[in-house]
This record gives sequence, C-alpha cells and structure tokens, in this order.
Amino acid sequence: MTAVAYHRPACLDDALALLAADEDARPLAGGQTLVPMLNLDLLAPTAIVSLADLADLRGIAALADGSIRIGAMETHARIAASRIFAAGQALVPRAAGHIASPAIRNFGTIGGACAHGDPVSDWPVALVAADARIEIAGPAGRRGVAAADFFLGFLTTALEPGEIVTAIVVPPVPGRAIHLRYSRIDSDYATVIVAGAADIRDGICRSVRLAVGACGPVPVRLAAVEDLLTGRPLEPALVAAAGRMLAEAIDPLDDVRGSAAYRRRILPGLVARALAGVA
Amino acid sequence: MTARLTVNGRPCDLPEQGTATLLDLLRDQLMLTGAKRGCNYGVCGTCSVLIDGMLGRACLTLAADCAGRSVTTVEALDADGSPDPIQRCLVEAGAVQCGFCTPAMVLAARALLDANPRPSRAEIVAAISGNICRCSGYGAIVEAIAAAAHG
Amino acid sequence: MAEFAVVGSSAPRLDGLEKATGRAVYVDDMTRPGLLHGAVLRSAYAHARIVAIDTAAALALPGVHCVLTGEDFPHRYGAFVQDEVALARDRVRYVGEPVAVLAAETPALARQAAALIAVDYEELPAVMTPEEALAPDAPLVHADFAGYARRVAVPLPPNVCAATTISEGDVDAAFAGCDVVVEGTYRTQAQVHCYLEPCGALAEADAAGKVTIWSSCQSVFRVQATVAEILGLPMARIRAVAAKVGGAFGGKSDVTVQPLAAALALRTRRPVRLVLTRDDDFMMMRTRHPATVWMKTGAMADGRLVARAARLTLDGGAYAEDSSAVLGFALLIARGPYRIEHVRMEGRVAYTNRLRAAGFRGYGNPQVTFAGECQIDEIAARLGRDPLDLRLQNAVRAGDDWVGGQRIEACGLVDCLERLRAALPPAAPGRGIGVACVAHISGILSTSAIVRVLEDGTVTLSTGAVDLGEGADTVLAQICAETLGLPLDRINYAVPDTDGSPYNWSTGGSRVTYMVGRAVTAAAGQARDRLFGHAAEMLECAAGDLELRPGGRVGIAGVPGPEITFRDISARAHWAVGGPIIGSASVMFEGGGFDPKRSAVTGNGIGKLGAFVFGAQAAEVEVDAVTGRIAVSRLWAAHDVGRAINPTAVAGQIAGGVAQGLGYALYEDLRFDGPNPANPTLMDYKVPGATEMPEIIPIIVEHPEPSGPFGAKGIGEPPLVPVAPAIANAVAALHGVRLRTLPLTPERVLAALDEA
Repeated sequence: MTAVAYHRPACLDDALALLAADEDARPLAGGQTLVPMLNLDLLAPTAIVSLADLADLRGIAALADGSIRIGAMETHARIAASRIFAAGQALVPRAAGHIASPAIRNFGTIGGACAHGDPVSDWPVALVAADARIEIAGPAGRRGVAAADFFLGFLTTALEPGEIVTAIVVPPVPGRAIHLRYSRIDSDYATVIVAGAADIRDGICRSVRLAVGACGPVPVRLAAVEDLLTGRPLEPALVAAAGRMLAEAIDPLDDVRGSAAYRRRILPGLVARALAGVA
Repeated sequence: MTARLTVNGRPCDLPEQGTATLLDLLRDQLMLTGAKRGCNYGVCGTCSVLIDGMLGRACLTLAADCAGRSVTTVEALDADGSPDPIQRCLVEAGAVQCGFCTPAMVLAARALLDANPRPSRAEIVAAISGNICRCSGYGAIVEAIAAAAHG
Repeated sequence: MAEFAVVGSSAPRLDGLEKATGRAVYVDDMTRPGLLHGAVLRSAYAHARIVAIDTAAALALPGVHCVLTGEDFPHRYGAFVQDEVALARDRVRYVGEPVAVLAAETPALARQAAALIAVDYEELPAVMTPEEALAPDAPLVHADFAGYARRVAVPLPPNVCAATTISEGDVDAAFAGCDVVVEGTYRTQAQVHCYLEPCGALAEADAAGKVTIWSSCQSVFRVQATVAEILGLPMARIRAVAAKVGGAFGGKSDVTVQPLAAALALRTRRPVRLVLTRDDDFMMMRTRHPATVWMKTGAMADGRLVARAARLTLDGGAYAEDSSAVLGFALLIARGPYRIEHVRMEGRVAYTNRLRAAGFRGYGNPQVTFAGECQIDEIAARLGRDPLDLRLQNAVRAGDDWVGGQRIEACGLVDCLERLRAALPPAAPGRGIGVACVAHISGILSTSAIVRVLEDGTVTLSTGAVDLGEGADTVLAQICAETLGLPLDRINYAVPDTDGSPYNWSTGGSRVTYMVGRAVTAAAGQARDRLFGHAAEMLECAAGDLELRPGGRVGIAGVPGPEITFRDISARAHWAVGGPIIGSASVMFEGGGFDPKRSAVTGNGIGKLGAFVFGAQAAEVEVDAVTGRIAVSRLWAAHDVGRAINPTAVAGQIAGGVAQGLGYALYEDLRFDGPNPANPTLMDYKVPGATEMPEIIPIIVEHPEPSGPFGAKGIGEPPLVPVAPAIANAVAALHGVRLRTLPLTPERVLAALDEA
C-alpha cells in the first residue's frame, strides 16, 4: 500500500505551504466527512494536513459590530451549546444542534462542512439565511466570500486549490430565529430545511429572511419573497403565496428522501409552519 | 505536540499509515475489539469510543489526529473487575440482545451520565440517537440508562 | 410464577455481561496465526455474460496468495432449485453478485487486489421487476432452468421459480352469496435485514484437509451441509462453529461467505478471514421478498367472514433459495386467524436481476397479513362495525382447524384481543387507532439435545441452536435447569459446533423455544430418570418413589430425611457403576400437514410446519397534515406465547419485532435505479433510531401449548407482522384513506390525503 503522510502544522502559514506544495494533499478538519471517503476508497490523497493545531481556526467570539466569528475548526456541538448568538443569529446554533448525531457533532466542524459543500447538509442553507461571510486563506492570501456566493453547487464551493476556510462570520440578524428541518427520520439528511429569521409583531412582519435547503444544488433565498412579506400582516393567503414562490424556485432531485414534486408540495406548508413558530 | 496518544491510560504509538483510523489502531494493533466495525462510515455507531471524554466515532477519526488525546474504550470500564453500573443495568433490563451495538451504547451512556448525571428520558434518547440497535427497539436500553442514573 | 423455580423468571441472558463489556467474540474479532484476509469482487452488471476474467495483476501484487473465480466452484446448490453457485460462473445475474474472491496479507491489500481483477463482460438485457420478468419474450434470468434439479417438480412458466395454489371450499360460490366483498391490490417492498454485524467467516484447514469454519450464522449444520455440497466434500470433512452472531433475522439462515472462506483456506493452506464491508453486504446479500398481493374478502351482513381469495406475486431476485417455502407459507397463512371456510390462494415467485430475496422475520407473512388485515378493516368500515369487534367475532379458537386441516391445539387470540381492548385509550381528536392480528407458526423440521451430567453434578447442555441475540441459549438453559431442579448457574450451554453438538436445523421459524425446548425437556428428563435409577439403588427404594429437590438433590417423596446429591450420583456413575449419565432426545415436528380430502394443493414447497401462534396489536398514530408524516405514539402488542419461559426475553422479542415492523411500515425500502440499488448504504437506507420509537406496550398472553416445553411456543417472528397493517388501519380510522403500498411514506400519505 502507498504510504500517506500525515502532517500536523503548528500555524496557518505552514499549513498553507504544505497544501500549496502538493495538490493531492488534503486538509483534515474534523474528519467526519473526509475519513469515510478515505475508508470507502473515494479519495486517494498523497498526504493529510491536519488543521487540529491551528489556533487561528478556533474560537467563537463576538466582534465589535455584533457579528459572531466562528473559527472553522469549531465543532457543531460547541456551536450548538454556545449562548453568544443573539436574536436571529440563533438559527446558527439551532442548525448545528440538528446535524447528524451527537458523536458526529462532537468532532465535525463548521469549516470542514462548508468546504465539503454538500447541499443536503445543514450549514449551507443556514449560513445563506444568516448572510454569513466565509473567510478563506490560501496561497494568494486571505479573502472573504458571502455564503450565497460560496456554495456553488453539489460538492462545489468558491474555494480555489490550496485554500481553506478559516472562519465564518455571522452578522447581526434581526428577529427570531427560524430553523425547521424536515427529514425521514431524526438522524437522516434533511428532505427540506427552512432557515431564516423574522421579526413579527402584532401579526405584522417587520422583517424576514427565508432560505430553503436540501432542495437543489444551492440554498434558495428570494428577495421577492422577503419583500412580499415585509411590512404586511401575515395572512394565510400571503404566506401561501410566499411558499409557492419558493416552491417554484427550488430545483430538487427525485431521490430516496422524496420526489421533487413532493418537496415542492410540502414547502409552502413548512414555510407557513416556520413563520407561525416565530409569530 | 506529542507523537503518542493514550488509550485506556496507556501511552501508545501512532501507526505509520497516515490514513489509518482510530478504529484500525484499536482493533488491529491493540486488539481492543470492543469497538465494532458495523459500517466504517460513521452511521451505525458501533465503533463509538470516548476521545477526551467525548463520544466519537473511531471509524471517522484518524489515529494520527488523536496525538496528545486520551481515548477510552469499553474495555476500560470494567478494568478493575467490576462492571460499570450502566453495563449491569443493561444486562438486568434485558437490553442486550445480539450485543453488537452494546459496547458503543455503554460508552454513549457513560458520556451522557458524566456530563448530565440525572438525564431526562428525552435526553437519554437524544444521547443514543446516533447508535443503531436492530434488536431491542431501544426501550430497554433507555430504561437501563435511566436505572443506572437514578438507581 | 410460583409453580416453577426457573421457568417464568426473567433470568439475565447468559452472555449479557460478556457482550456489555465488549469481550464477546464475533468473527471479525477472531484471529489465528498466519491469518490472511479475504475480499470479494462484485458484478457491476445486472445481467451479463462473463467473457474472461484476468487475475494476473491482482496475483502479481506481493502479499496476494490466491484468487478464485467461478471456475473454482463447479457445484450448483439450492434447497428447492439447484440454481445457485458460490461465485458467478459464465453469467452474472445481479449487480453486486460475487465474481471473484481472493486472500491477501492485509484487508487493505485484499481490497486493492480485488480492484485489479479485470472482468470482460458482455452485457445482456435484464429484467428488474416481476412485471418485466413475466412479460412475453422476456430475457431469461436462468436460461438453463430446465436442467436444474428441483425439489417441487411442477411445470413452470419462464422466469418463475415457484408456483403454488392452495384452495378449500368453493370460493366463487361463496363470494356470490356474500353481502359485502372488498377487493384490492397491495404492494410491499424490499426490506433489508440490516443486522448490525456484516456477514463474515473465518476458515482454517488442517493438514488432513478438514476445514473448520467459524462464522456468523443461524445454523452451523446448514453451513456444514451447504459448504460440503458446494465444495464437493464429505460433510465429515467440514466443521462449522458458531461465533457470536451480531443479529441475523433470517439473513444468515443460508450460507453467506462461508463457502468462499473455506475454499480460500483450502487453497492457501492458511487461515482466512472474510468479513464483508457494509457495502458488500448491502449489494450481495438478501432482502425480504417484495410482493404484489391481490386479495378479495367476503362477509355476510352479520359480520361473518366466509371467503377469501388471493393472488400473490413475489420478487425472488436472481436465485430461488427459500422462495418456494416463503411462497407456500405466505399462501397458507394468508387466510388470517379467522374462521373463513372458503379460500383460494395462488402465488408465484418471479426471477429478476436483483439480489436474492430470502427468509426474513415473518417469512412471507408480513406481505399477506398487510393485505389481509387491511381488508378486515375495510369490511368493518363497510358494515359499520368496530374493527376489533369484527375480529373477535371471527377469531379462531382452540380446537379449530387451519387451512389444510391441522388442528389448532391452543389459541390465545381472543384473549389477546380482549386484553388489547382493555388497554386501549378512549378516542382522542387527531389520533387514530388501528388494530391488526397475526397468526404464525412455531416449529419446522428436526432438532435434538444432549444433557450430560458432569462429575460434580453440574450439567452441560448441547443443542446446536445458535443464539442470534434473542436469548435462546438462556431460555433453553432455563428449561434444562427446571427439568433437573437445578439453579441456572449449574448449566453450561455449549457453543454450537458440528463436531460436538447434536443436530439442529436452524434458529428460525420461531422454533427454538418450542422445538429445541421440547428436545431439551426430553433429554433432561432422560438424564433425570438415569439419576433416579442410580439414586434408587443408593437409597434402596423404587425409582418411582423419588423426587428432585432444589439444588441438585434426590430424595424419597414424602420422606424428608435421606437425600443424595447429583455429585454423589454422578461420581458413582463415572467411577463405579454404569458410566457417565447422558440424556439425549431427537424431535421432529410431526403435526398435521395437508389433508388431501380437504385441500386442493399444487406446487407446494412446504410440509408439516408447527404449532400455531397468535397475536394482536394496536397502533396509535398522528399524521402531520403538512408533510404527511405518520408519527406512531404508542403501540400495544399482545402475543400468546403459550408460556413465557423468560418474560423479559419475550418482551425483548416483542419490542424488537415491533421496531423492525415499524421500519417496514414507515421507512425501509431498498429501491432500484435501473439495474442498481439506489440506496444501498446506511446513509440512504434508514432503519429506525431511538428517536423514532413509539412507546411499546408488550402484553404477554399465556395459553399453554400442550406439546410445548412447559407449554411454551415461539415469539421470534410474530411481533413484526401486524405493525404495518395496524398503522395503515389507524391512518384509515383517522382520515378515511386506505393506503395499500408499503412503506407508508409521507409522500404516499399526503397523496392519499390530497385525493380524499
């Protein structure tokens, strides 16, 4: 068997150098997706570059403007348990708390999940809903990309070769958090996710954001839907119209979690339920 | 950084192959076969162990990434000759059938009770929600963990 | 239960702590000096001719010891149709079929080598469903079918491996006289056994060429016989030993990888361990038979059921295996536990280019009971009757006959229904309750037991019955202990090993407690009689005056004084008089089969089956109006077990069966995308987790079976069977929609609600 090297750099620059030097080297975050792919012979890297010791990639901290910076190596479990998220930002820990199962949440990381870019997973839709920014470091330096511009398709992200995710920054989100995850069974990938936040007082929607996940190659968020609902009383007909607009915009597959038609059929009802939950 | 990890209190060298998993190390090198290989991709839960006290999947963890960490397997729980109360309660409740899920269930329960000594039924269910049992229907397992916590 | 000391007590399972501490040894935990590791190459085609296999690159890898292909396995096998081969020869018939197997120094090397085997295929048209297989001019799954040896040699249409009819009375006339007739077609899916331990075996050959096979199996004797047949060796050269079994549920009833491991061990002269990956297991092994069931049931206005007809088409997959028996049993049981005089049950099993269907907890029963129990509710709705009440009116009782004429000796069905009725809560808004019954059998074929009294008066019990996790070893030891008046800890349950254990057909058919228990009772009784023979001489009295006293002692009935211990008696037997004390017994189920004066039967693959067992369940459900998802909140399961030898173990079988039944009802479905399984992973094929479990309320009913050990009969399979129809009936009660396709996915429920 070919030997695969394991590197554990102590700082980000060393990690980036190792990745730059060998295009078949793979960065290792929590391993909860990379390792099963190794086990199933779906990947054959020449080297593993563990990000475990990179202090820059740790920590969940509030920034001066009320944003929360989440280090890429923070685990789903730590994010789910964090109380630092205010108001609508709480959709982020809610999303974290529903991922897979406890053991996976203890080791899986937000950075690793983002880099993998699986549209049925829980992070893309939540981060798009939260208007999060993905911070990236690579051979060409550092940059930030809006979540909506980061998740580009099935297992496809804005990451260039040699780049890694270093942090996710979640700006303040007004209103109350929405995170409605519908799956066949609890520990399954979602069939449909509705994530977002809304500020609804006296039946009037003051602000709203809604993103739909697991229903196509990328999360779907429509300005037209948010404009339609904002400033209006949330009458059932209006909510249904918003749900229908989203249902028309999604591009789901037929798969074992449900047909495309089924996902479209149930989405308006889930949107209504999600909004009712924060009214 | 150290090039070793600790398994059940004993220091242990890392395997040479960078892609070797913790499960490979435990089962093939250390002959600690209490952690099972039910799927090798993290869904069945039978390989669960404690890594620095947290429930984790040995099949989803590279052994090398455990350098400096402390791993506890089911074999450590009765190392003093006396089974963990969780183990006794599982047997008494009839919660052990084929037994293939059982060592991992024991560790999932141990991780729960270490963090939350008086869990509710819902908390117990959540704690074992990633560990498949195909024999028992789970009810007896939940009862046994509750008995271990409250008894 | 004061009348017994050990029977009726919930003794903890014998190997409970061994398993809970992680010390129990499953095949993948075993090693031997010089161990090699096996890997299998699977077919990528559903149907193809194998033009050539090039193993040179694999063999050239250092550390690869041997590669075997279909040419190395010339013997065909199969219990009903000799259509199977251990490795594909000339043709592959499903995606995933094993094509080559090899042994190498490490598992990773074996896997790497398997990927280097080059197979040249010529793809052939495939049939992926019974509809395709049974269409005119369909491609043949087995072009040589006419040349295969068959146990039931009736003429069959193309791509059919079994066809059976069972009829009694005059169904057509009876339907004509019915006040209410319901008719419908029900469809059920491929459920995967999903035992947590993938199939595996470790084989080692000695210098004389005798092979020992440790494996995860339901019967060491079936392993021994089938491996001998496949390898063309005398059975005396094969030794099969049971490792701990990490679940089986019917999926390890026939051989899995034992023949491959044995052949590799013989060829390499090294021990070889071959354990499937989860992917291999999903792609190569087995599922429950998908079924299409057309059924019609008729009743009189007063609720009396009088006629039932069914036409069953099972998807058998690429090889027949036990399909004949599954079909025959499904047709026999399709009447349901009701006094229905006129029945006509017809069925066939189609070959398709899918992985083989096989026995799976229920053995054809879940498919037909889903149809039958839905129809009871459909009739109740038409008559405006309470469904539970209608079942009570028609329920079979002790002394009634089953289809075929076999007498029902004991029957707690009415009791199950009454206990259920007493347990059910009053109607609540938004919640529906549905009921379903099950009849099953407990028995089949032969078994035996040996009870040996050791020098110190303790006992070794050998039966050959492999414990799959249900606790058979504990229950059999309890039966032995009770018969001999010993505490349970004086009984050693021997590991099943064809070199030392007496024959047992298999752990399956809900038969171990009932059948093996009978053998244990008889063997222990014989040992007791021999102990009494010695004791009579030692105490100078008649053997008929002796009694057992607790703790392994013998005294004179009614005389408190003199007693002697098993130890004293066994020492005398071993060292002075008569030789070691051994009790042994052989048992065959010899109850009624089919009475030819009563039943017209053709193409039947089953014989005398066993004692009848009964149960009734109720499910309480809610339906999410947005998604159509069914949530089962509570499930009551009343089952007549004759007598509960170990109530906790019985409750464990009930809860575990209900959990698998819940998976069958709501979630589990191996689907196909063209020729390929669409979801052959635990990511995509979901079995229920702890979160999905309803509260399960077991209700144990005891109507002793006269022929059973202490009145006991089986409980392994029945609890799975009524879950799906109980849930479907609950949904119908709640929303008035009738779902006829399993699983009851949210999508199907919502579609039905939309239509209603």
